[in-house]
Amino acid sequence: MTTECAITAAALANCLGTDSRTVLDRAFAGDDAFSPASAFCELPFSTMLGVMPGIEAHRGLRATDRDRDVDALDCIPTRLAMAALPSVRQLRPAVRAAVDRWGAHRVAYVFASSTGGLEETERALAPDPRLPLASARYRYSDHAIDATSQAIARHLGADGVAIAISTACSSSFHALAAALRLIDRGLADAAVVGSADSLCRTTVFGFHGLGLTAPTATRPFARDRAGITLGVGSAYAVVERDAPDTRRRALAWVAGIGAASDAFHHTSPHPDGLGGQLCMRQALDRAGMSPDAIDCISAHGTGTKLNDAAEAAAVRQVFGRRVPLTATKSLTGHTLGSAGLTALVLTVESLRRQAIPATLRATPLDDALGVEVVDRRTAAELRHVLVNAFGFGGSNVSVVVSRPDTRPS
Amino acid sequence: MTPVPPSTVGSVPIWKAAFFSTCHASARDVLAGRERPFTAPAYGLLVGRARRFTSLVTQMHVEVCGALQPEAQRALGVFATCHGEIQTCERLIADFRDASMVSSARFALSVHNTPSGVYAVATGSTAPTTTITGANALAAGWLEASLIALEADRPVLLSIADEPVPPVFCGPTEPVGFAAAFLIGAAPGAADPGGTAELTIVACGDDPEANRPVDALRALAHAADAWARRAPATIALGPIQPGARLELRVWPGPPRVQEARA
Repeated sequence: MTTECAITAAALANCLGTDSRTVLDRAFAGDDAFSPASAFCELPFSTMLGVMPGIEAHRGLRATDRDRDVDALDCIPTRLAMAALPSVRQLRPAVRAAVDRWGAHRVAYVFASSTGGLEETERALAPDPRLPLASARYRYSDHAIDATSQAIARHLGADGVAIAISTACSSSFHALAAALRLIDRGLADAAVVGSADSLCRTTVFGFHGLGLTAPTATRPFARDRAGITLGVGSAYAVVERDAPDTRRRALAWVAGIGAASDAFHHTSPHPDGLGGQLCMRQALDRAGMSPDAIDCISAHGTGTKLNDAAEAAAVRQVFGRRVPLTATKSLTGHTLGSAGLTALVLTVESLRRQAIPATLRATPLDDALGVEVVDRRTAAELRHVLVNAFGFGGSNVSVVVSRPDTRPS
Repeated sequence: MTPVPPSTVGSVPIWKAAFFSTCHASARDVLAGRERPFTAPAYGLLVGRARRFTSLVTQMHVEVCGALQPEAQRALGVFATCHGEIQTCERLIADFRDASMVSSARFALSVHNTPSGVYAVATGSTAPTTTITGANALAAGWLEASLIALEADRPVLLSIADEPVPPVFCGPTEPVGFAAAFLIGAAPGAADPGGTAELTIVACGDDPEANRPVDALRALAHAADAWARRAPATIALGPIQPGARLELRVWPGPPRVQEARA
């Protein structure tokens, strides 16, 4: 990647709310928005979930009773579409402006999701009696990521190259990297990078079967951390090629992206965080920065024993000093394929507010990890922040995000 | 809709190619319409649990990637699949419906990037991999791999595979499982590239036929066969954006000098 790219708009929605302002205000206030999973589905075990408000609102409604945005999406109102819609709705003016600026076919659309439409398929093939049946219109494309992503691209008017990416919990950062490559090689001038993931019972049971769900709200980097709190969410950003006008509108710059594989185990991290080390070093190299330039790390921080230990080991190896580190999954839940972009949008706000959001429930800290966890909202001089997203398959991606005024004129 | 102007993505050398089909002995047989009884991949890179628990699509990915070793060992990876782990998904949901339980091993292997993760573990490669999905995965996979190859200082392993979609999904009814892999971009150490891949985005207007996904089995067989026979070919890879599709031109030998500079 050689072309400088700016993030010029961003939106997100998750358990903290369905408009970005509410989500960001609540995140920086340290609000706890998780609820018992029993409110969502019947489970033979205890866990908490981060459920987006109103996610079920359109279930079973006739088309004439749904709001216009849902019908404008021109796809089945799957939970995936409903998770994406609040972010899409907020981002639409910025995308329209990008289309006016660059031309519709010069605005690419790269979408990321881990589970895609699995929830719709589950409702069709293994229905929960408490929920409405899957739409009678159920078709295969609603299982795949396609129907939703194509409908959103049409809805936004982004007629450029369209790509869908799915690499589990690192999906949205691979999507960001793909979008920057399209701009770098001149195939687009701007790109909408979007991600959404919705929960279904199969996913919750699956993570529980792997021993990864926490019975109570997740506690990343805490001494007695017990696992993940899963969440529903979406996050979107518009990235644009460098130009004088882009510089005036930049919320932040993507300074460097690095990626690597663990090559160790499909679901367990390398004990030394090998892939994490490699991708953090590569992101720094591509940003032309030394580790000393990083003011804060937004960790993948899922709250499992092994993940947090591996990530902490990788951070110690790469930085060799105690960098302030926050784990925003304690606020939003683990939104799977949307996790990276969710953390990135929170980081953009961190750069604007010059504040690091708290890692909730992190105390008592696991001192053996040797990392500097920020357990309360903290004011800080933030110029460059490194954000991690790691996933199944040993897939690791790191992104360095920089404050707008740090780029050379 | 504003017509999409033609755009050349770039030209990259193809160093090696491999093809597998559950119902055809070779890419040539696909093109000639010669079928064989269902044949599973040999998946020589997989041992133990990895061999027992992986799906057909993962095994086929690993089969064709294995055929490109050792040159592909440190290559950057782009895996592409329209349907992902669709057979694993079907079993996962059937288990859940019938017994209200989910096999943790099956769940772990249900993500789209299972093949790349299994491949990385099998080969010990820490190189990054991404996974492209969706109906246009064939075109988008080639595009992503070429874009990475054009900026990278090491080769790129592009692996494309799909397994038959179970009938319960009411989806595509293609009964053939197939995979192809191509080692492209920077020289992996071999002296002579067998061919060049050139990708171009071509306007196709609002014609719904032109915007449909292509027959991926035949397109991949065509590309692999063209490389193997050192024969030129032009292959439609399918839609890449509204009103435009991606085309792959394969020709013998290395990229032309002026195109390599571009």
